[in-house]
Amino acid sequence: MFEPPVQRLVDELARLPGIGRKSAQRLAFHLLNAEETDAVRLADAITSMRREVRLCTRCFNVTAEEECSICRDLRRDTSIVCVVERAQDIPVIEKTGEFSGRYHVLGGAISPIEGIGPDQLRARELLDRIDAENITEVIVAANPTLEGDATAMFLARMLKPLGVKVTRLASGLPVGGDLDYADEITLGRALSGRKEL
Amino acid sequence: MALYNDQGIVLRSYPFGEADKVVIILSPNRGKLRTVAKGVRKTKSRFGGRLETLTHVDLVLYEGKNLDMITQVSIIEAFPTLRQDLDRVVAAGTMIEVADFVAQEDEPTLRLFLLLQRGLRALDGGDVHPDLLTGYLLKAAEIIGVAPALTHCAGCGATDGLTRFSFAAGGVLCDRCRTPGSYALREGLTGYLAAIATSDLSALPEPDLSMSRESLGVTRRFLEYHLERGLDSMALLDA
Ligand SMILES: [Zn+2]
Ligand SMILES: [Zn+2]
Repeated sequence: MFEPPVQRLVDELARLPGIGRKSAQRLAFHLLNAEETDAVRLADAITSMRREVRLCTRCFNVTAEEECSICRDLRRDTSIVCVVERAQDIPVIEKTGEFSGRYHVLGGAISPIEGIGPDQLRARELLDRIDAENITEVIVAANPTLEGDATAMFLARMLKPLGVKVTRLASGLPVGGDLDYADEITLGRALSGRKEL
Repeated sequence: MALYNDQGIVLRSYPFGEADKVVIILSPNRGKLRTVAKGVRKTKSRFGGRLETLTHVDLVLYEGKNLDMITQVSIIEAFPTLRQDLDRVVAAGTMIEVADFVAQEDEPTLRLFLLLQRGLRALDGGDVHPDLLTGYLLKAAEIIGVAPALTHCAGCGATDGLTRFSFAAGGVLCDRCRTPGSYALREGLTGYLAAIATSDLSALPEPDLSMSRESLGVTRRFLEYHLERGLDSMALLDA
């Protein structure tokens, strides 16, 4: 146990993902010994992020405006939408430079085991966007897991009757890996997502 | 601290630390195994897709204080057909949820393991029998020791006039034993359930679609009553 103000910070830091008690103590003492302005700047960054950032009313990406910068960008192709589980997946896809449409943050994945269904996700909101924005293609960028698969299959079932083309990120062999190290599940996915050359 | 070999079906996993996962596995020899797979969330992990939910795997584990660490894994059976259909995945989810809830750590569960394996195999084959999940739940109830009485009155053992069903009494009741909480079942339903309960999952009786829905509903609520919890995964079937 430390003095109450220090202990309070240690407790808060330890609640962050990936931070154990030891790391929390180290961070707390680092801030204690740092220049006061450094600590204040960090505290201010946290409060202003919480105050200024909200969810894009269109795609549920994080934004400081009504709509996020991607939705406001007039050069983007509005007929194609990439569905991601979480907002932090968007920068990962943006960095590839291969996608020029808009996004839709689902807020998770369907889990047949935990009973997380479409009602707990923003599936309804996606459905509403199809007509409103004349969306013709939806790319599902869910994780290559059972939950991601279930999510993709559900969205396909929901959207295909509307004439929307539903595709899913091809998943398969990791770049730089050897074929003979691949497991059956990964290899099976790579085969079903194969591409004509 | 030692290395040991085991096998099992991956029930579920959740993120742990930066790039690891805790993987819960149903082993026929040791019951529920709580293991950790280091670095499995990295796209270049040497584990690849081998530790995905619903995979039957062969393992080499390093015994740890809380969690055993997976050092090697190879696939015994991956159930690829089942993974490609949403309805099958949802049914598999219920099978997994029940097995996960019933199994205990350090308690051999050969019967439960075999039941899950047979259930997943049936979902991985050609057409799925409409009563497969009902059969699975009835057999799970039997393993837990709460199999519903279906061919005789749960109160007095009578074999005729079985018109009522009661969760609390543990199955069908005759007219004389009927309790206030019991309710009437559709004509022929108990016989239908009894035939499912006594058949192997791979050789279920000819289905009657007018019975299937109610059979599953009654079986589900019976099991939920005795497990004292709702089956979350089955909420997806309602949606
Ligand atoms: Zn947006
Ligand atoms: Zn009776």
